[in-house]
Amino acid sequence: MRKVFAFLVVGSLLFAACAEDNPTIGGTGATATGGTGSTTPATAADCAAANADAFKSSGTLTIGTGNPAFPPWWEGGTSDGSEFEFNDPAKGEGYEGAVAAEVASRMGFSFPDQVTFVPMSFNKSFAPGPKDFDFVLQQISYKPERDDAVDFSDSYYNVNQALVSAEGTSVADATTIADLKDAKLGAPIGTTSLDVITQQIQPTQDPAVYDDLAQAVTDLQNGDIDGIVVDLPTAFFMAAVQIKHGVVVGQFGAESDEYFAMAFETGSPLVQCVNLALAEMKADGTLDDIEQQWLADKTNAPVLD
Amino acid sequence: MAPAAALRIEDLHKSFDQLEVLRGIDLEVDEHEVVGLIGASGSGKSTLLRCINLLEPVNAGRVFIEGEEITARGVDVNRIRQRVGIVFQAFNLFPHMSVLRNVTLGPIEALGASKAEAEALATELLERFGLADKRDDYPDRLSGGQQQRVAIVRALAMKPDVMLLDEVTSALDPELVAEVLNVIRELAAGGMTMVIATHEMGFARDIAHRICFLDEGVILEEGTPEQIFSQPRQERTQRFLESIIEAGRM
Amino acid sequence: MIGGESPEKYQPLPGGSHTPPSGDRGSKILAPLKAEGARGVTIAVVSTVVVFGLLAFAILNSSGWPQIKEAFFDPTLFWDSLSKIMKRFSRNVFIFMVAEVFVLILAMILAVMRSLRGPVFTPLRILAAAYTDLFRAVPTILVILLLGFGAPSLQIKGVPHSDIFWAIVALVLVYSAYVAEVYRAGIQSVHPSQVASARALGLSRGKTMRFVVIPQAVRRVLPPLLNDFIGLQKDSALVAVLGYTEALREAQIISAANFDFTPYVALALVYIVITIPEARFVDWLVARDQRRLQAVGGV
Repeated sequence: MRKVFAFLVVGSLLFAACAEDNPTIGGTGATATGGTGSTTPATAADCAAANADAFKSSGTLTIGTGNPAFPPWWEGGTSDGSEFEFNDPAKGEGYEGAVAAEVASRMGFSFPDQVTFVPMSFNKSFAPGPKDFDFVLQQISYKPERDDAVDFSDSYYNVNQALVSAEGTSVADATTIADLKDAKLGAPIGTTSLDVITQQIQPTQDPAVYDDLAQAVTDLQNGDIDGIVVDLPTAFFMAAVQIKHGVVVGQFGAESDEYFAMAFETGSPLVQCVNLALAEMKADGTLDDIEQQWLADKTNAPVLD
Repeated sequence: MAPAAALRIEDLHKSFDQLEVLRGIDLEVDEHEVVGLIGASGSGKSTLLRCINLLEPVNAGRVFIEGEEITARGVDVNRIRQRVGIVFQAFNLFPHMSVLRNVTLGPIEALGASKAEAEALATELLERFGLADKRDDYPDRLSGGQQQRVAIVRALAMKPDVMLLDEVTSALDPELVAEVLNVIRELAAGGMTMVIATHEMGFARDIAHRICFLDEGVILEEGTPEQIFSQPRQERTQRFLESIIEAGRM
Repeated sequence: MIGGESPEKYQPLPGGSHTPPSGDRGSKILAPLKAEGARGVTIAVVSTVVVFGLLAFAILNSSGWPQIKEAFFDPTLFWDSLSKIMKRFSRNVFIFMVAEVFVLILAMILAVMRSLRGPVFTPLRILAAAYTDLFRAVPTILVILLLGFGAPSLQIKGVPHSDIFWAIVALVLVYSAYVAEVYRAGIQSVHPSQVASARALGLSRGKTMRFVVIPQAVRRVLPPLLNDFIGLQKDSALVAVLGYTEALREAQIISAANFDFTPYVALALVYIVITIPEARFVDWLVARDQRRLQAVGGV
């Protein structure tokens, strides 16, 4: 009797251990390899048609973005029936809104009827497993460390980080990074803004890290922090609208190679479609126009170095 | 003028809600006297004892200890209780303290004795009653009889004027009863004024100077043990004693 | 000898009043093993292995496993983040140790206030009850947000602005309410005859509380006290919402930078490693005291 039990014990352990080594099928979540074969698609529309099965919801482009949808990335106000606060992405206004609309139509989707926006928390955008969207568009910076978890498109915006504060604070008149050494700075969590503080500025005090910018603004107004690091366009928005007597102190690293990109499920064939669309937009000047329209007055700030 | 009685109770009444348990008790206990309190369950023996040390508030009547009225307004209840030692049927030792600490807690915290004094007295008492080796044990290591003896020692450590014993052997297994009764015998021999509520009739007959039969809230009959046990005058007393004999407890 | 409790734990007392065998109330998971003998051991081992083996098999073979492994169990990131997280964890430790001290004190005050008898103490009882109701009702995170952002906003001189300060204050306020109820339950569970015996000796109400009731009450509620302490340890992470970087926030930062959840797994392990010994310690305390506390004979 005992020998039988022992055999079972050892056997089940071996079985389980061996099983782990077997490669599994279908782990990457790509639903179809698509494609008619050897020809690479020439336009974004062709690409989208060739990979029609790869879209989350066929015939529709599903885009995830953060809720609330902040200016200047999204504009146009809210709509009834939309979950989004501050602005409804489906209006296609604001920098990211316009980019979304343009990319969608170049891929052959009519905007906004054939485009669905879903609110997406930051963490969900890179959690493993099948996604609820085709791609995420919410001021996500490309970082090599992040490349394993998602696939990134090419750049849709080259980012500079900036420092925003209020009049009268210790950093309001800063002109160099050295001026910031003793300041208490804040940044939103999960952003490269935080990296700027910890890697470039390296102040003596620990940075304050916030779940959302509203809390950062509160602390700034209380005098608990001296300044907030965010991307440059957001800095302008905050200085103009959210912070009393707000001022954009300056921007960091004119040669920063940081850029925003869309994030896709790993192995998604749609990356190349979007890249084609972006390439077209850059080539024919559309992307520049969009930047002119929505961010023109939001790029002029002295450089802090 | 005769010295005040150690304990005097005048027309004591006590009710619980609507139920009147004590209906006018009169009792005088002299110094060094041992009074046995007998009666059926529910006759009010425990209640009477608890009234004497004010664990139960009294509805009407007066109680005097060494001439001082303890039922008067504004009396310092704690001080009174320090003078009246009471031992219950359930031993109620403090389980989180050693035997020694159980005994010294009262003297130190209530009487203000120093630790050294209290421990010396405690050790002496424990030795006297054969519990010296249990000094540092916790109550859970003691038998019922030992716990009860410690409870008595704990009360004695307060140097009370009067000791009240409320059926202290009723919860014990028979073989442990004797050791506790012996302790009480010794106390009586030493002249402690005591009121003992008990079912142990044989024991009561031995050591009590006087027996009171409590029936339905009044002292129906009182007298010397000979009078009560051999020639009870009241019919109810007789019936009670008969029931005791039947139960084999005499 | 297989089976039966070890001799030290149960001693039949010399005749007389029976003390129930209290044994050690620690984990009884393995008790059936001792009871059933060798055959029981075999069955237990086999069923354990089979069940967990099958579970492991199912998980490791699921189609999502490689991604999960990378996203949650990445070894390099695990070790990298572990050291950073542990460094920050010292801040959590500071917060919950300081908070716990004040919680134990404030909660005791509240519990005693609530237990006071006598009509003159009515306002105190009402105050204690209202406090308990209020702070058990409001979610802890709200209290931290309100105090952490609200108090400094008042711009009153002398009011501290420090995140740690307000986080500790908020945690103390909230947890005292829970622990006060635990104490109260403990106090009420002490048999009234204990109070009667103490008062009969002539001890005042206060001293009775102090020497007889509270020591027993606290011993009786050690497990729920530990529960609340563990909750407090975990809630120390809430200070992050004020912008303060403690262990959880650090894990979040690393996670966001790498698009990977492994730092959270590392932090979870840190919490497990500190909590399990605490639980075993309390089990031991309880086992030791239970024997003594149960032996209040004759009642």
